[in-house]
Amino acid sequence: MLDKLENVLGPIAEKLNNNKVLIAIRDGFLISTPLIIGASVFLLIQNFPINGYSEFMASIFGENWSTYLGAVSGATFSLLAMINVICIGYVYARELGSEGMVGGIVALVSFLILTPQSHPNFVNDAGKSFSGFAYSNLGSSGLFLGMICAIVSVLIFNKIEKKGWVIKMPAGVPPMVAMSFSALIPAFFSMTFFFLLRIGVSLTSYNFAHDMIMEVLQAPLMGLGRLPIFPVLYQFFSTLFWFFGINGPAVTNTVFSPITTVLTQENLSVFLEFGMKADLPNIYTASFSDFFGNYGGGGSTLSLVICMLFFAKSQRLKQLGRLSIVPGIFGVNEMVIFGLPVVLNPIILVPFILVPVMNISLGYIATAIGLIPRTFGISIPWTMPIFFSGWLATGSFKAAFFQIFLLILGILVYYPFFKVLDKQYLEEETKGLESETDELDDISLSDISFD
Amino acid sequence: MRTLLFFDQIQAGKGGKEHTDVPLSVEKGGIGSYAMFEKYFKQEGLALVATMYAGADFFEDNKQECCEKVVNLIQKVKAEVVICGPTYDYDRYTQTACHLAEYINKNSECRAIVCCAPEKNHETIEEYKDKIVMVKMPKKGGVGLNESLHHMVQIAKYVGSNHSLEALSMYLY
Repeated sequence: MLDKLENVLGPIAEKLNNNKVLIAIRDGFLISTPLIIGASVFLLIQNFPINGYSEFMASIFGENWSTYLGAVSGATFSLLAMINVICIGYVYARELGSEGMVGGIVALVSFLILTPQSHPNFVNDAGKSFSGFAYSNLGSSGLFLGMICAIVSVLIFNKIEKKGWVIKMPAGVPPMVAMSFSALIPAFFSMTFFFLLRIGVSLTSYNFAHDMIMEVLQAPLMGLGRLPIFPVLYQFFSTLFWFFGINGPAVTNTVFSPITTVLTQENLSVFLEFGMKADLPNIYTASFSDFFGNYGGGGSTLSLVICMLFFAKSQRLKQLGRLSIVPGIFGVNEMVIFGLPVVLNPIILVPFILVPVMNISLGYIATAIGLIPRTFGISIPWTMPIFFSGWLATGSFKAAFFQIFLLILGILVYYPFFKVLDKQYLEEETKGLESETDELDDISLSDISFD
Repeated sequence: MRTLLFFDQIQAGKGGKEHTDVPLSVEKGGIGSYAMFEKYFKQEGLALVATMYAGADFFEDNKQECCEKVVNLIQKVKAEVVICGPTYDYDRYTQTACHLAEYINKNSECRAIVCCAPEKNHETIEEYKDKIVMVKMPKKGGVGLNESLHHMVQIAKYVGSNHSLEALSMYLY
């Protein structure tokens, strides 16, 4: 049964992992992650979830103290689509064998060609409309269009480049100069395509590609992301892949992360506008997935490690529990995955999949009925320990205690399966069942001790 | 066929990345990652004698002594083949495993193989692929783990019994 399942999942994982478009989108998002986490720190300082904090800061730094911090979020979150266009363009060009940096810039220009540059609704005293790019088109609402632009523009660029329609400079010309000339014709083709596309879209009722993509693609996909089954499927497949030794989130993120990113940014946009009193639109965000699905890494193995630490009778599990608890608190469980092991271990399969699915389902229900607040959409490092992560992601201690509740529930689910494993290891330790050869009893640490 | 395993501390379940100073140790039978490929041992008729493990720093600091101790152990338990790995894309574990495998092949009748991923191990593979048998496997979290573990055990059996590896050459570096 497991072999058959692996035969189905293996090729799917391989196809998703090797698809250059999906790699570009997934890894492109990853490049921008440090910026988003960095900006989130400023946002957290600006909106630290403690009553009276804002007034306290104002009493020290003056009424406008938060304006300075807001400049950081304006330079990152409000330009998220633009940042990701460059990153995705860069990775896709690299994957196709073109120069990454050129790909990123071509993608950016192509995206901006489609973006409104004049805003007739905003006029100055002289009646002249505002010219420039608006945050509203460069942030979360432009993410899907940005992804498409990055992929299409780099694809055109690469095709033309591969056809050899490039200006070749004679030997001796500095490489950077030669590169800029060789990129000229392919870049021109990309720009021309998006120029014509802009004209084409302007002839439709949408006027701009942003509006078209929002209505035709982004809104329906986000509707899909808002379905309660969406986070459950994500957790289920991420964990199932891990069981076969495949990095689950790396596979599932290729499909899920574009939608999750937009849902997260939508919450963040509302939070940036209204602060702690914001009525946040989405339950499922990246931080909701990170901090209400798994505790201690994939499979929510912190619950399992706690079982090992407090209830193991076999030396092997007791020792592994002691060694794994500190990394586990910070979300690292490599040693449990390969050392217990979890991978390809049918005894632990059921709780390994069940606990994250249970966590995310209960987290979703608790948020939907208002037991815990929705996540702001800010990015907190995934290594943030339980309790603090729940508090910082939602601004509420209720969420922090809810995480503890889920952790305990996880212990209860893991416990019976853990006992089976513990019993098996204990038998091996006491009776030496694994060894059938008598002379092996001579093996001891002293054989190879350096003392 | 009497077989020994050589793990790092992570695969043995004796410590994370921060515990590279885990001393060379041995335990009867299989521990840690062995459970992942135990079924193939039974399927191919290999008898696991014991599992050795060490952290990369400890091995590096006591290289000669570690190698000699391992060979002494091999002779004592009359092991016919040693499987070093799976080392995935842990580069230092791969370097340790390759050094040990080469030493075993030179200094005992026992044969040793290394199972590693290409990622982060290019230089080590280039250095050792003509000196020892190196089995291809995916990186940590990569696709095709189960299949590669099966090949690893099959190849260990072939190597231990001096069979030609021609039929399995596509699984080797």
